Amino acid sequence: MTDLAIALQLDEHDGPYWPGEIISGRYGVRTAADDDVRAVELSILWYTVGQGEEDLAVHHFERRAADSDDEGHQANFSSLRHFQSKLPNSPLSYEGILVKIRWCVRVRVFRARGKEALSDKRFFLGAVPRAQAVTPSP
Amino acid sequence: MTRLFRPYGKKRGQRRTGSRRLGSLGEALFFLFFFGVGASGLTLMLTRFAVPEWRANRHFVPAQCVVLNTRIASRQSDDGMQFRPEVLIRYEVHGTTYEAATFDIHQAYSSQREDQAALLAPYQVGGTYSCWYDPADPRVVVLVRGYNWWMWLMLILPTSFVLLGAAGVLRAMLQSSTSVERRSALVRKAAQLDLFDEAPARSRDYPHVPRIDNVTDSPGTHLAYRLPVEMTSGWPLFGMAVFCLFWNGIVVWAAVRVVGDHLAGQRDLRAALVLALFAVAGLALCAHFLRQCLIATGSGATRVEVSGHPFFPGMTYQVFLAQTGRLRIDLLEALLVCEEEAVYQQGTDTRLATERVYQQSFYRRQSLEVRRGRSLEDVTEVHVPVDAMHSFHSDHNEVKWKLIVRAEIPKRRAYQRSFPVVVYPLPEQSDLG
Repeated sequence: MTDLAIALQLDEHDGPYWPGEIISGRYGVRTAADDDVRAVELSILWYTVGQGEEDLAVHHFERRAADSDDEGHQANFSSLRHFQSKLPNSPLSYEGILVKIRWCVRVRVFRARGKEALSDKRFFLGAVPRAQAVTPSP
Repeated sequence: MTRLFRPYGKKRGQRRTGSRRLGSLGEALFFLFFFGVGASGLTLMLTRFAVPEWRANRHFVPAQCVVLNTRIASRQSDDGMQFRPEVLIRYEVHGTTYEAATFDIHQAYSSQREDQAALLAPYQVGGTYSCWYDPADPRVVVLVRGYNWWMWLMLILPTSFVLLGAAGVLRAMLQSSTSVERRSALVRKAAQLDLFDEAPARSRDYPHVPRIDNVTDSPGTHLAYRLPVEMTSGWPLFGMAVFCLFWNGIVVWAAVRVVGDHLAGQRDLRAALVLALFAVAGLALCAHFLRQCLIATGSGATRVEVSGHPFFPGMTYQVFLAQTGRLRIDLLEALLVCEEEAVYQQGTDTRLATERVYQQSFYRRQSLEVRRGRSLEDVTEVHVPVDAMHSFHSDHNEVKWKLIVRAEIPKRRAYQRSFPVVVYPLPEQSDLG
């Protein structure tokens, strides 16, 4: 049983996203103690998975610290906050053999006490089919 | 216990073991050590050499002195006897007379006695010369001033240690106190602010797709662009050429000495034997190098031109192929290929894994003869699959597209040449409009 819950919702969307489309949603954090959250970061990013070292790049990033919201007031993390971003032309989501590219919306919560917490919501950019290994010509 | 304290990390499938915090601490300590070594060296060099030299040149006050005696001072060191020039002088500062044995500000010793003695030659006992004393302590005096540029250049070494160490510590601190997403966002923002970024607008619109300048900068003679060939044997051949030159240079130098000694009547059979062995090895190296050059260039040049670049999924492009040289070919084939490349660490080694994920033969001809002076030329078409993954490049992962021309030649090993191309993703609908 954890005393912290991250709410992360993507607005309804049929099928994969395409370059230039808007991705949008809401996020928030609920905790037992109000002062338990130091900051919350929302990122729209891609990362690689597979045999190689992991690469990662952030397309959209926003950070809310406890003591400074947009109006300079104490931030209210429990209320759902809207986000949106226009998706880039590349890289597209890809399920290769050695290289996999995955897009996600990630919320990372920095706590006053205890470890960071994070929540991911994966989505697909483009519809590149899964790759198959091919034997090279002799 | 190992779950709580994991001193080293491993990559297990898609995750890493090991503590990030401990990793950052280790990195910070490593760079702190660099910083400490650099700072100590820099402090030592500044206080012992640079600042005294600077003060002697800029702040010491000129005066006249009388030479009372000159001598070569000596000391015993691990490398044998060392020497330095010493001139005993008498000079006056504000009515007070001082006597000092001096020369320059460093008072450094050297093993070359003759060189040090030559430095004393201009000073005659009883003669009057210029000297410079320290206004803060008139007992400190020099007869010779000037800058030792070598010492100032040496300052670069500890300074670079200090800068590297400080940057490393700052980086480790930043890594431990910020999330990976925030660091990536900062890097992205910095890249957008780069005033000197000459990347074309198209490259900026397609993040992590390789740039196409090296292809579009080279126009073709039959079609729009001539594709650059991927160099696979160039660097090994260059390395071999350098080694060959180095080895045979030593052999020639040794041969000149041995022949010189021989002509002078000093015959050394053992040296001549060793030289002969080295010379044989040098000749073998030259032969191997020439053979590799012939293999690399003997099949003639292959030229590939395309009607458009970058490639887009679902599109068809004309391809012009030209093969020069003088050879009979059993099979000449052109392929459109997509390969994945992943760089990973295995222990302390950096390894590269490659996997081919697409291959399409779009040109195939058998039993051909290429005559000298008349290149084999043909035009064909290549179709990029509509659902193709675009070219992708990041620090450790890559999706590469290329055209490969391969030839099977009778009684010889088949050769193939690669011509990288860039496949872009289809642009957003509004761009097609």
